[in-house]
Amino acid sequence: MTATQDRSAQTGQAQTGETRILTLIQAVTEAMREELARDDRVVVFGEDVGARGGVFLATAGLQAEFGPRRVFDTPLSEASVVGAAVGMAVRGLRPIAEIQFADYMGPGFDQIISQAAKIRYRSGGQFTAPLIIRTPSGGGVKGGHHHSQSPESYFTHTPGLKVVMPSTPYDAKGLLKAAIRGEDPVIYFEPKRLYRAAKGEVPSHDYIVKIGEGAVRREGTDLTLVGYGGVMPDAERAAAALAAEGVSVEVIDLRSLVPWDRELVLSSVQKTGRAVLVSEAPRISNFMGEVAYVIQEQAFDSLLAPVGQVAGFDTPYPYVQDKVYLPGPNRITAACVKALNY
Amino acid sequence: MMTASPSISNIPPLSSPIEPFSPEPLRWVAEDGRPVRDLPARYTPELLRELHREMVRAREFDRKLVTLLRQGRTTFYAQSSGMEATQVGLARSIRVGHDWVWPYYRDHTLGLAMGVPMIDLISQCLGTNSDLCKGRQMPHHFGSASKNFVSISSSIASQVPPAAGNAMAQKYLGTDEITLCTFGDGATSEGDWHAGLNMAGAAKAPALFVCENNQWAISTNLAAQTASPNIHIKAKAYGMPGFYVDGNDIVAVMEVCGYAAEWVRAGNGPALVECLTYRVGSHSNADADAEKNYRTRDEVNSWLARDPIARVEGLLAHLGYPVDAEERADLISAVHRAVDADVLKAEATGQPDWRIMFEDVYADTPPHLREQAAFVRAEQEGQK
Ligand SMILES: Cc1ncc(C[n+]2csc(CCOP(=O)(O)OP(=O)(O)O)c2C)c(N)n1
Ligand SMILES: [Mg+2]
Repeated sequence: MTATQDRSAQTGQAQTGETRILTLIQAVTEAMREELARDDRVVVFGEDVGARGGVFLATAGLQAEFGPRRVFDTPLSEASVVGAAVGMAVRGLRPIAEIQFADYMGPGFDQIISQAAKIRYRSGGQFTAPLIIRTPSGGGVKGGHHHSQSPESYFTHTPGLKVVMPSTPYDAKGLLKAAIRGEDPVIYFEPKRLYRAAKGEVPSHDYIVKIGEGAVRREGTDLTLVGYGGVMPDAERAAAALAAEGVSVEVIDLRSLVPWDRELVLSSVQKTGRAVLVSEAPRISNFMGEVAYVIQEQAFDSLLAPVGQVAGFDTPYPYVQDKVYLPGPNRITAACVKALNY
Repeated sequence: MMTASPSISNIPPLSSPIEPFSPEPLRWVAEDGRPVRDLPARYTPELLRELHREMVRAREFDRKLVTLLRQGRTTFYAQSSGMEATQVGLARSIRVGHDWVWPYYRDHTLGLAMGVPMIDLISQCLGTNSDLCKGRQMPHHFGSASKNFVSISSSIASQVPPAAGNAMAQKYLGTDEITLCTFGDGATSEGDWHAGLNMAGAAKAPALFVCENNQWAISTNLAAQTASPNIHIKAKAYGMPGFYVDGNDIVAVMEVCGYAAEWVRAGNGPALVECLTYRVGSHSNADADAEKNYRTRDEVNSWLARDPIARVEGLLAHLGYPVDAEERADLISAVHRAVDADVLKAEATGQPDWRIMFEDVYADTPPHLREQAAFVRAEQEGQK
């Protein structure tokens, strides 16, 4: 990638050629369609991904186009879905497995942490499992705890897995393609409340978004707001509200949690002196705790205020109170104000 | 070839004519309502009328809640229409309030038939203050301690190992209770399902596992779910009898499940029953449009024609006690009125406020949760 391409990937803008406006879920589908066409080793499977096209329709039309040999339904067993993906990857395929909701990673957890994550390491690099587990995650859809959770931190805590979560259609397509072409197992979280709410320009030409690079969504000088996934639109709303009050907030979308873009975050905090970290996962052992740790370790001298954090509460995800549970723009704004007034 | 009785030596012989591992689903009443076996004496016209009423009530409850959903007063619905014989029959096969139940999300008809007040189920669907589960879960994830009906988890088959443990505790405590554990056909593919049955079998625990085989798991047909011709034969692998029953024949369900429940209660170990039925509605409201992509109208229609309520009506007519149109219409409108009244009553209790989020996470409230609750309180007061 050239420097300009790199930059355009960061801002989520396409630099040349034709683009269309797609929703986030359409971008996910398009990435799979293009990779299925490009590489015969790519297969797509999971519960109800075939004729049904997935419960959110992320795989709609793929079975019709590529046939049931490449795109197929599995029995209802996440352990089998993930475990079979590991075996297929070891034997030379490029499996894209769908787990219907991130809340149902549970039955597949052992396969993820014991097999997918460790096979490269335990075999001294003789065997590897380049696979993708795509799964919708996050709240805001009135789904109660079994359709709203944000379990990404379990996976960031397991060495050997890459963990990504796009918040724009551009990144959704580019990150998924990068994952498919990479050599490691990738847990690819799709923020379900943005599936259709997030719309944006997506190039028709082939491109990837490198795993491990964050993106600056808005430049600013007074405070750095860091988030990923479903909270990003609210983070940007908060930044816009603060801009109206004359406060200049820099908004960073991590896009990728493991590895994450330390350099981008640190250079921003060194510039602004203040950081607020936003996610919707429960607070204890939240991945943002690691980001906060690195900021205080590497940028302590620049800090004008303690690093702020907005997260989900340490309760199971509720049903009727999901609006209160989710950090909305007001809660994010308030956390910024607190850091600014410190 | 399927053998008539299990050839595995650790399964005690069955003294009853009800055979495990039958190649075809056991049936008492044909689709047209004629008995195909001797009807046991307990199926009096009064009992059959009562069963009919309960099945109609469940069907109309489904209809009404789908209407509420369309009105935006609830957010999710998973119908059990077409499965009434299985669920009402099951409720009649156990000792309600004495035995324990680990159900799954499509079991509201089972709950109703066990005598759970309709308002409790409605309140759970609406997430109101009258909800015993405090508005914590999406609709159809009900639980009621008074009926030993354990709160439902969405996570498919996750109730199966706990049901085995519940039964092990019953055995340990020397009770004469059993544990009923229900699940769909799709659930039998999960590792937890196999682990739970195996554990119950090894422990000879008093668990009755019942598969409500409605032949679809969202868009996945049974044939794609397993290479086994059916579910009940899987019982052999776990050293327990497997019964195969026509789940649209309430007499058959009560005969087989009632027998299996008492066999389990007698200390013989667990049993598996497969009730063959059909999901005539969509999987849930989220699936309504997609259905046409994976199953044909003809298939659905062929099962609509095998309706379990029509079958009881056929039997009653055959016995000389037909349900006339007026009577049915009265029954239906009485259910509608009852649902309407309970919906209003439930809605009038309001929705739980934010405090409910921080309760019941633990037995006590640790400092970090007290702090988070105080944060929300300040936020809420600031917004006023
Ligand atoms: C562990 C897990 N994986 C996936 C799902 C999503 N899901 C909900 S219902 C369902 C199909 C279940 O089919 P079946 O067990 O046959 O029950 P039915 O809905 O037909 O009554 C699936 C895959 C889930 N709830 N839990
Ligand atoms: Mg089913």
